[in-house]
Amino acid sequence: MSRPKSVRQSMAWLHTWSGLVVGWLLFAIFVTGTASYYRTAISHWMRPELSDTVSDPVAAASRAGTFLQKTMPAAAGWSIRLPTAENPTVEVYWWPNFGGPFHHALLDPATGERSTVRDTRGGDFLYRFHFELNMPPIWGRWIVSACAMVLLIALLSGIVIHRRIFADFFTFRRDRSAQRGWLDAHNVMGVLALPFHLMIVYTGLVTLSSMLMPWAVKTGYRGDIQRYYAEAGLMIAGRPVAGRPGTGLPLGEIVSRAIATTGEMPELVTVANPADAAATVTAYFEEPPGLAHLHPQIAYDAATGAELGRVGEAGAATRTGAVMVGLHEAHFAAAPLRFLFFLCGLMGAATVATGLVLWTVARAPKNVAPEGFGLRLVRILNLGTIAGLPAGLAAYFLANRLLPVALDVRAEWEVGAFFAVWVLAALASALYPRTRAWSFALAVPASAFLAIPVIDAITIGESRFIGFDVAMALLGLLLLLAARLASRRAWARRPIQEHLHMTAEA
Amino acid sequence: MILSLLLAFAGFSAFALSQDRHHRAVVRIPVSRSRIRGLRNAGWAGLGLSFLAAMASAGCSFGPVQWVGSLTGAALAVVGVIAFRPTSLRIIALAALPLAALIAPLALAS
Repeated sequence: MSRPKSVRQSMAWLHTWSGLVVGWLLFAIFVTGTASYYRTAISHWMRPELSDTVSDPVAAASRAGTFLQKTMPAAAGWSIRLPTAENPTVEVYWWPNFGGPFHHALLDPATGERSTVRDTRGGDFLYRFHFELNMPPIWGRWIVSACAMVLLIALLSGIVIHRRIFADFFTFRRDRSAQRGWLDAHNVMGVLALPFHLMIVYTGLVTLSSMLMPWAVKTGYRGDIQRYYAEAGLMIAGRPVAGRPGTGLPLGEIVSRAIATTGEMPELVTVANPADAAATVTAYFEEPPGLAHLHPQIAYDAATGAELGRVGEAGAATRTGAVMVGLHEAHFAAAPLRFLFFLCGLMGAATVATGLVLWTVARAPKNVAPEGFGLRLVRILNLGTIAGLPAGLAAYFLANRLLPVALDVRAEWEVGAFFAVWVLAALASALYPRTRAWSFALAVPASAFLAIPVIDAITIGESRFIGFDVAMALLGLLLLLAARLASRRAWARRPIQEHLHMTAEA
Repeated sequence: MILSLLLAFAGFSAFALSQDRHHRAVVRIPVSRSRIRGLRNAGWAGLGLSFLAAMASAGCSFGPVQWVGSLTGAALAVVGVIAFRPTSLRIIALAALPLAALIAPLALAS
């Protein structure tokens, strides 16, 4: 690559190489993030034993309290997510101190004992992978943040180098050369969903901003992060430990009080220092309708049930941050809008994928000349990521249905299936002949996704999962279509005329 | 939101047809100057009405989010039609308008 000359040329250089360096990770982040818009639907499908009936949350809270009292009475904290129609289990966490370890269990709301539902991480695995990449949380978050910042650079430089944003707004020439087709696809996917792309990368960075830029809070509050949260209107200030043992009311009692004062069902209840006389129970409520991602809270004295404080209206800065997190997560979106967010997420993944493919197509050797090491490496990483990750995703869902329900550490096996199939698909793609590689590689996830509804019908066969199964079949067909387009592209190459045409245009 | 999508689709179709390349692909003749002006006005009207529909049905905070989402969805649909079934763009866009008129009372009432 020669030295960049004009601004546009140097921006083109920046766009090309910044996009390439983080492209593969970004693709995985986009795909898992997009899937996370349907996180509860995925979790639901992956726990088919659960019925849709909601049990009484007040009784469920008391039973969860009894379970935690048995399990770790002297914990630093407990947390109980109450059952809802979307997620009918009770999820409890307990930790001996703030540094962890955080223990976790899924309880049957009717008995208050560990649920016999199949062990799975459900949609939560994809959700966490989206910003932690299945690594130690801090490492994963830093890497994802770095990718997001590079993506922001790639987006802005991409806008600068795109000469004809409005003239080519609707242009997708699939009857011309491969390079032209991929460039058009990259531009269309990037430009049409540009508001989404800019929003999602910026708000994503804002979501992780307190980790990325901790200095203001560190300096202003001398590391007292709890006081910052309290003053920012994010949390209720904690109480110091009394040092005397105490007994709390049944948790259901406090949940009933919370319902009586607000008229709403809390979604989460936490208990700080449950064995202490100054134990505090905090009820968290579902975010009120609006763009902001803010949860109203009320704190109660665990022993007497007296109200200690509440979080309601947040300040302007907190609200702004909450709106950004809200936009990113789109909890507010009902089905049609949620689908558009999903579509935009897919377009983001497609922008990254087409950009990566374009890099290799633009550098592909003419005719039968052998490809160099770098080009071959990028091409195989492209195949391994763009076709391999969906294969892993399908394997994750298939493993959920095919692994024995009583298998030890079953959830880990499911995650293992995800990574094993991804790696195998990637390795296999190195063996495909160059001209047919894409159709071979895409046929793998296509058939795996098409197999999901069949396997589900055989193993579970319940009508309430039809929506999910149809979606999987559609994804399979989409991948099949892509495989077919790729194979046609391989046959119908018109390199020479097209090359002349493009030099004339440039 | 469907209303907002239909109007945005019609608006973007008009914008696409105001460009010579797409006009040739869809109608097989070059676009005339007066036609460009008319199509552009129609395009702006479509997008504007789509915005109003989104604001009316979703309110001031969700409306803009819904509108921008509809724009992306509708534009992608227009690109798809031009790439795979260019000659049917006019019919679909024209069909979108009465359909929009039909569902407007429903969408705006809720």
